[in-house]
Amino acid sequence: MTSSLSYQAALAAYRAGAEPWPLPEPMDPDRLLSAYHPDYLPGSMTTLAVGPNAGEQCQRELAELLQAEAYIDEVDLAGVPVTDTDVLVIGGGGAGCAAALAAAEHGARVLLVTKLRLGDSNTVMAEGGIQAAIEPGDSAQKHMQDTLRAGHHAGDPSLVAALVGDGPDVIRWLIRQGMQFDQTPSGDLHTRPAGGTSAARVVHCRDYTGLEMMRVLREAVTQHRGVEVWEQHSAVELLSNESGQKCVGAVLASRADQTLRIVRARAVILATGGLGRLHLNGFPTSNHLGATGDGLVLAYRMGAKLCELDSFQYHPTGLVNPPLLSGKLVTEGIRAAGALLLNAQGKRFIDELQPRDIVSAAIIRECQEGRGIHPASGGVGVWLDTAGLERRQPGLLGQQFPKLLARARMAGIDPRQEPILVYPTLHYQNGGAVIDAHGATTVPGLYAAGEVAGGIHGRNRIMGNALLEIIGFGRRAGAAAALSGHDRGPKKITLEHVNRARRALALAGLPLARRAPLLFPAYTAPGKDLWKS
Amino acid sequence: MTENAASGPAVELTINGQAVRAERHMTVVEAAWANGVPRVSGVGCLEGVCGSCRILLRRGKEVGVALACETLVEPGIEVLFLPPPAAPRHQYELTDLSDGWDIQARFQEIFPEAARCRHCHGCVRSCPKGIVVEEGVALAVAGHFREAGEAFFECVMCELCDTACPEQIAPAHVGLFCRRITAFFHLRPPNLINRLEEIRQEPPQDGKEKP
Repeated sequence: MTSSLSYQAALAAYRAGAEPWPLPEPMDPDRLLSAYHPDYLPGSMTTLAVGPNAGEQCQRELAELLQAEAYIDEVDLAGVPVTDTDVLVIGGGGAGCAAALAAAEHGARVLLVTKLRLGDSNTVMAEGGIQAAIEPGDSAQKHMQDTLRAGHHAGDPSLVAALVGDGPDVIRWLIRQGMQFDQTPSGDLHTRPAGGTSAARVVHCRDYTGLEMMRVLREAVTQHRGVEVWEQHSAVELLSNESGQKCVGAVLASRADQTLRIVRARAVILATGGLGRLHLNGFPTSNHLGATGDGLVLAYRMGAKLCELDSFQYHPTGLVNPPLLSGKLVTEGIRAAGALLLNAQGKRFIDELQPRDIVSAAIIRECQEGRGIHPASGGVGVWLDTAGLERRQPGLLGQQFPKLLARARMAGIDPRQEPILVYPTLHYQNGGAVIDAHGATTVPGLYAAGEVAGGIHGRNRIMGNALLEIIGFGRRAGAAAALSGHDRGPKKITLEHVNRARRALALAGLPLARRAPLLFPAYTAPGKDLWKS
Repeated sequence: MTENAASGPAVELTINGQAVRAERHMTVVEAAWANGVPRVSGVGCLEGVCGSCRILLRRGKEVGVALACETLVEPGIEVLFLPPPAAPRHQYELTDLSDGWDIQARFQEIFPEAARCRHCHGCVRSCPKGIVVEEGVALAVAGHFREAGEAFFECVMCELCDTACPEQIAPAHVGLFCRRITAFFHLRPPNLINRLEEIRQEPPQDGKEKP
């Protein structure tokens, strides 16, 4: 076994357009995953002691937050101003905006709150595209099979059926909001395959699909007369009825003046996204600053059942250097377009269009077994052979991947001339709050949509299904929330669920010192900025 | 986040009036965090696509604007984090624009300032994405909405161009309007429409189809 190469030595040995080596015999996927996927790292998992998932496996760093104490107590709520609305949406990304627009379309008064600026989310960073079975020869059934298979058959078939069935209408709805997609010369939507798909099914807007989607949805929400938006308001706790069995609102902390506000609502939709910024297992992340798993913590304390808390997606192609872009994504679209992965010996080691968990595990195997490339700035990775792709299809990178070129410019490299060094990066929370086909969680009055929800992607998500989920299930949750609760709204708002959770923690002998939700990663110096921390 | 980087001599700069020391490879955002500068969490994607971390930047006598997550520290620069952009002043809903034939008139009603461009290039100089903002606005005023929208393709809605505009044109919103009406009125892809029609003719399954 040769030892790993330095970046310079590997680059010198690399020759663009050299005939790629044939693929080695594939390793058994289960063996590959259990040996190399970060979910299987020793010590990575623990067993939850309290809450609706007590006794189940959960990633250790997430478990610490799920089993933490709340920030607030009933005394904190005395004299806090109260706002009433029909539907409260927590989260300002794609799922939150889609839910807010759908709820408003169904006649509800909607308040959307976000701890950052409207649109600051993982959605805006999405690159590759959104899946919809629209090509002749493709079908919702094939889309469903691909989704279930790539998720190792852990997904809920009824949710997956809803997801794939929504696909074409989601694209029409997005076009009606004013979103553009790439077209073929004859006017069809341009489609790409993705890792784990049996047909070309990913529609996209070059490699800026998420940016195009988010700026359109942000404008649509801001311009909508039925939706009020509060930016810079963190949801620090949910509110329950007297019995602690129904969600009736939330407590918000304003980041402008550090004061609390109570929002009473007939239905609350969690659209808080994922948790990449927890840097599970010490991995870098492709995620947005706000992705700290707040929604999972709030839902769990309220008593909502979660699922697949031991399954996370590490995207195969995160950048390794420069440090300021470490963990940032190189879209899977580039592999779908034909770019190969090569180890330090210049050899292929995996079918690049296998599902993401398999490809990531294979990259980690190459690096652990000494076939990785070490840049001077630290870290290790393998080549993503963009230069070889450009050689085979001149001009392709410039036409279809402007974001990749712009980012590489920041990194000081030209991916048309040299390959890019990549290593898996923490990308997506496969599970989340258990929902039904209307986005309802197991707690009445509480809905979840987007990455915070679980059950759709099983134990591994395929490219393009996240953007489909946030719009499809965002609209489902928004419509259901608007039509639910024809009672006259909550009479009494309490923190009964917080008391219940605290009793459970005390009984289990767990410490009450740690507080959650996290709201912001520790390295943002929250002590100087955040409410009560 | 930066523990792996080769460290060089420290860089001294000023962020929000506070003197800070940073490693040479750090971005302005990382330097602010590392030094505990208050109120620097109005930051988003950290890769230059969300447009949230707007800064005013003074380098010697030169003053400009930029996005903090894309700006590396330099000795002696002064940085001031800007507040988020104000709420949009221009009100419209696409569904109110049912007739494409009066779209030019409606554009002039919604964005009356757009025609008053002074060609001062303030917007072009302020754009962190190198967009030909002024040209894009001129195309929109002339009714070439598709081309105007294309000019704004890489716009991240940081609205620094709006800050720079003496006529308060809000170029980023002009560009987005152009992109949105282009899709709303003109994007009619046959493969999508055919599939939607097939679905319409199927008996309803209400998300309960079997694998």
